[in-house]
Amino acid sequence: MSFYAVQTVMGVLGSIGFSILFGVTDRKLLWIALGSGAGWAVYLICVARGYGIFAGLFAASLFVAMLSEVLARILKTPVILMLVPMLIPEMPGGDLYYTMYYLVQRQYVEFGNSSNQVLAEAGAIALGIILASYGAKFIRSIRLHVPEARKKAQ
Amino acid sequence: MSDMMKETGCREQEGLPDREQNRYLSAFMDIGELLLIHGAEVNRVEDTISRLCGAYGFVRSDVFTITSSIVASAMTPDGTTITQTRRIKDRDTDLGKVELVNGLSRRICKDPVSVEAIQEEIRAIRDRRSISEGVKLGMYMLISSSLSVFFGGSWPDGLAAALSGMVLYGMLRQSAAMRLNGIIQTMMCSAVTALAVSLLVKIGIGTHPDKIMIGNIMLVIPGIQLTNSLRDMINGDMISGLLNMSEALLKAVSVAMGFAVTLLAGGGR
Repeated sequence: MSFYAVQTVMGVLGSIGFSILFGVTDRKLLWIALGSGAGWAVYLICVARGYGIFAGLFAASLFVAMLSEVLARILKTPVILMLVPMLIPEMPGGDLYYTMYYLVQRQYVEFGNSSNQVLAEAGAIALGIILASYGAKFIRSIRLHVPEARKKAQ
Repeated sequence: MSDMMKETGCREQEGLPDREQNRYLSAFMDIGELLLIHGAEVNRVEDTISRLCGAYGFVRSDVFTITSSIVASAMTPDGTTITQTRRIKDRDTDLGKVELVNGLSRRICKDPVSVEAIQEEIRAIRDRRSISEGVKLGMYMLISSSLSVFFGGSWPDGLAAALSGMVLYGMLRQSAAMRLNGIIQTMMCSAVTALAVSLLVKIGIGTHPDKIMIGNIMLVIPGIQLTNSLRDMINGDMISGLLNMSEALLKAVSVAMGFAVTLLAGGGR
């Protein structure tokens, strides 16, 4: 349990590091830190309840992407500025490295397994992001086309 | 339509030569170029340029963007079409600048301004100083050590990762100054970093070389790019997706080859 707490804190630190490296230096850092920690917590909870890595990554990235769509509207900034740093803990960098390591070492069976795994992980994350962004577009178009909702929005 | 055009640049310059319209389109291309270089998504670039063209009275615009180029054609109210192309070579993620450019394009879409004013603002954003070298170095150390612990390393491993992150940053800066080919640059940096890691482990700082290295690798391995490439593909931007993905995979191979050179020589993992 305590390892997971440490892991979450470390993931948050990594997110903060990347966001400063990417030129985000104002109070958005606080939101990014909270969002990335919450996202990793979603992943850990999913995995602990036995849903597996891919469902966990999908749920975490869907959560983070929805959060960044909302935050981007509140803070009036591009979604990508919130999304990329917040997703750092979910990024499959380690597995991508092991995949290529097996390729260079000519361990082809392991290479095949882990390259499938990396693509599925990246795909799960990408699907979460896409679903959230189309969800946001969908809500916006409902607001534009339904008269009552438009009145409420104004 | 005509109401909208009255307030915009094109209408006022209808008598002027095409040069003026060319300058406007060129300014919009600058905006798109800045967005693309600093890490915005492909469809945001396309969207921004066509919105700008619409706001400044072009009757039709077709923008095609991939990660390495922007092509835009815009038709003026009198029916002439102008086309411009930009080739994007180096990219450098700076989301702070993306935010500024995005704000600029929103503002000038709402109330159109003269082309000189746009160019002035673009220049200001382009010249904006990014974070200092010292902060960058600090961030490299912070990211390396925290992510090495994140992936299961111990605290000494985190310390070792911070030190080798310093080496990595120095190497990246040196090789960027030498203007090496990107792949060779990545290979060299990974090889030297792996060497530093095995030396550190040998003198007793840190115990798991692979965990230490994963912390460093997160800084050079294109995990974000790989994810973005899949997102582009699901979004329907096939060419961008494929370009990004092959670039990411090639880069990952070169990282692994750099590390492998040292590992094979040292015999460790």
